Amino acid sequence: MSTNEPTGAPLAPNQDPKAQEKPRKTRKIKTTKDVNGVPQEIEIEVEDVDGPRWGERKDLKVLNTELRRVDGPVKVTGRARYTHDVRLPGMVYARLLCCPYPSAEVTIDVQDALKLPGVEAAIVLETKTRFLGQPIAVVAGRTSDHADDALRALKVTYKPLPWAVDRAQALAEGAPNVRKNGNKGKPGQNGDRAEAEAAIAAAPAKLEATYSVPVQHHASLETHGVVIDYRGGEEATVYISTQWTFAAVGQVAELLGLKANQVTAIVEHMGGGFGSKFDLGSEGAVACRVAKELKKPVHLMLRRPDEFVMAGNRSGNRVTYKAGMNADGTLAGLVANAEKFGGLGDGSMARPPYVYSAGKTYSEVVAVYTNTDSNRAMRAPGHPQASFGMEAVLDELAYQLGLDLLEVRKANLKDKVWHRQLERVAKEIGWFEHPHRTKPGPNSGGKELGIGFGISTWGGGGSGGTECDVQLAKDGSVTVSVGTQDLGTGSRTLVTAIVAEEFGLQLGDVVARIGNSRLPSATGSGGSTTTGSLSPAVKDAAWNARNAFAEHLAPILKTEAALVRFAGGKVFSQANPNAAMTWKQACATLRDAGLNAHGKWDKDRAAALMGNGVHGAQAAKVEVDTLTGRVRVLEMVGIQDCGLPINRTAVRSQLNGGMVQSLSYALFEERVIDPVLGLALNANFEDYKLAGPSEIPKMTSIIDDDDQRSATIGMAEPAIVPGHSAIANAVHNACGARVRDLPLTPDKVLAALGRIA
Amino acid sequence: MRVLHLLINGDRVTVAAPEHWTLLEVLRYELGLTGSKQGCDKGDCGACTVLVDGKPVLACLTLAALCEERAVTTIEGLLPAHVKSGGSGPDPVQAAFDECGALQCGFCQPGMMLSARALLDRNACPTRTEIQDALAGNLCRCTGYTQIVEAVELAVAKHCGVAPRRPGSARPRGRSRPPPRRA
Repeated sequence: MSTNEPTGAPLAPNQDPKAQEKPRKTRKIKTTKDVNGVPQEIEIEVEDVDGPRWGERKDLKVLNTELRRVDGPVKVTGRARYTHDVRLPGMVYARLLCCPYPSAEVTIDVQDALKLPGVEAAIVLETKTRFLGQPIAVVAGRTSDHADDALRALKVTYKPLPWAVDRAQALAEGAPNVRKNGNKGKPGQNGDRAEAEAAIAAAPAKLEATYSVPVQHHASLETHGVVIDYRGGEEATVYISTQWTFAAVGQVAELLGLKANQVTAIVEHMGGGFGSKFDLGSEGAVACRVAKELKKPVHLMLRRPDEFVMAGNRSGNRVTYKAGMNADGTLAGLVANAEKFGGLGDGSMARPPYVYSAGKTYSEVVAVYTNTDSNRAMRAPGHPQASFGMEAVLDELAYQLGLDLLEVRKANLKDKVWHRQLERVAKEIGWFEHPHRTKPGPNSGGKELGIGFGISTWGGGGSGGTECDVQLAKDGSVTVSVGTQDLGTGSRTLVTAIVAEEFGLQLGDVVARIGNSRLPSATGSGGSTTTGSLSPAVKDAAWNARNAFAEHLAPILKTEAALVRFAGGKVFSQANPNAAMTWKQACATLRDAGLNAHGKWDKDRAAALMGNGVHGAQAAKVEVDTLTGRVRVLEMVGIQDCGLPINRTAVRSQLNGGMVQSLSYALFEERVIDPVLGLALNANFEDYKLAGPSEIPKMTSIIDDDDQRSATIGMAEPAIVPGHSAIANAVHNACGARVRDLPLTPDKVLAALGRIA
Repeated sequence: MRVLHLLINGDRVTVAAPEHWTLLEVLRYELGLTGSKQGCDKGDCGACTVLVDGKPVLACLTLAALCEERAVTTIEGLLPAHVKSGGSGPDPVQAAFDECGALQCGFCQPGMMLSARALLDRNACPTRTEIQDALAGNLCRCTGYTQIVEAVELAVAKHCGVAPRRPGSARPRGRSRPPPRRA
């Protein structure tokens, strides 16, 4: 699975629906209609479409409404089974031992552990480690208790090796080589530095400043893990908390010495991923190793501290911007020197100037490696990092020139969709009545209110590889089958809704089967591509099923297939709507095996169903206590376009969730490693603070209905992009405290207040 | 090992478990009641929250042996308890979470709903701040809590016979404070 690494802002497409519309083709069908018992010849005009379409929004009964999740009942009653909950006969529980040092030579004696009752395996995995948290041994016991006993009985000797866990250590003279070729990657350069420097020099307002964001964790409530059901023989099942049902199949088969067709992957429900759960992972590979050795089912879920150090993160970064602004608020030039801190990984950074036009620009982005866990994709990889500095640069320069922060953004945004979105969030949050629109509020010693803005973008289109089956049974029940996974985003509801809409049924009339590799194939859920990949395939299958069913029903209804209509749980000919059959009656005419139809994501047909490119704007209102430095977010407003929303409740939940994740990033979250001792200091939810229910502000999440594209587009990523930038800007706006390093802890706010002359 | 006499969701259960096992371990690994989630094993995330004698308790920090002869309610027991007490279908809190879309991945919801149930049992008409305080020990990474708070408000509104607030219309006055929850 690609990490959907952005190289820059995706181009925002023109949202004008007229530009997308093709001329409607229609044809006339001659038929007979009973008028007072007398058949009369009539002509009916029908739309002649060459493939499935979503149709007019006003005609939709299920899509674009507020739907209840189809997995709601099973989840609210505790019946939903996650990987962590799988219990199999003879299953052993495995635990990892993770290296507490960033780099070390390790000797492990497993003999004592193996002698303990109930302990079934103790295996050394590594003797020389490269990152803090690297798994070095695995143990397995009949219960989790036996596994814990085994862990304690391992005799481990560590010989720490020189390490680099932060920027200073990695770039110091004589630093140990983290990667073979040193501690810096190959820089990616764009633009002409001299030209950009000259443009900045000539501008009336200038700024040079460094902005940084810490390493953030995905912090899914269900940790990474698998249950490998292998008892010898020719088949295995892997239960896995994953964002891609099909990814684990081949990997498990190879590790167990089986073929792909002998392995089944099951993802009934999974407890969140946010980009961190794409493949089998090292923990899954280790579980396979234990299962192969014991020929017993193995349950290996990471413990929370291990999850923090070995299951990925959003890379931190540090960017020095030089920028110049013209008197009209347009940026004259920008030079950005960015470093990404992705541990052993390359990190993420969308290319500056992100969504903005910045005149003459030059950017240089380089990875700095450390002996820490590799970063992974995390919700809009690289975008929040790029957003933070850019939004701050705009505000800082605007204040120098005494310009309105809203107008300065519009001056640098070419795509007018963002202009209207900004106007909307500004109005909602009370910007036009706000007293500090062109300069920050005072450092008064009391509490001050401030407002800030941020802009987001993403792609959200889909790609090929998803197929789908729709089955109509003789009793009227409908099943839609596709092996995709539901991360919690609501894909199970999405597939159900599309099929229900097609047949004029209600959500409850259709059952979705997903999360199993024996079902038709599907792509992974990354980069908000699920909606764009899944919905055209499901729509295609539903459309094929409808056409086949219409063909079957046409002679029964004494009409042509093109005139068969499905609406309101009824089936009828458009010529004689009064002579309707119920859905059940219609299905009862099917043969015993019912009706099966297949569909897939086809490039040409999907083009009419799916879009790409979304826009978002967010505003935050904060209260800063200038005496204590404490920041409270009072209100957040977010607006997001996404083409045709499938489930408005789910879209709103994505927006709410993304905005609160960015609030959490702004105020609380930061991975802390002691550089001298090399220890992870906050690998738990007590010290790695997430925003909780008490921290949520008034939230207004707006679906941008001015976007009338008749196309579905994923929108999970952009919701997290600009919130922290808006909050940091709001703090500056409230009292003049510019904190250029997240999170916005009280000490940093006070220090920034102290820098104000 | 110790033989424990427990009262789980109204059923008398006798189970042998190591003396030091927590209530969460007994529920999940001996009784197959996996609705109570294991998120952190140290009382930080709240996903394991169950009710003991009607009070919300972190099952991962509570010794099972200390729960003998006390009434334990897990998420699996909420619907049957509602039906037994004369209701129909799920507990109003469960129904409201379902109706408001107050969940995404669903991993935190069992604990979240039991915290909410305990609140409504002691305070039938809480304010938004009181709701936020009661849920303060339950972390959710997906939903941003907004629809969760709205769901509890919906359950309250239905109970009190008033219309719930429109989404996003209430200004919260909540302050962070740790939940009063240690068994």
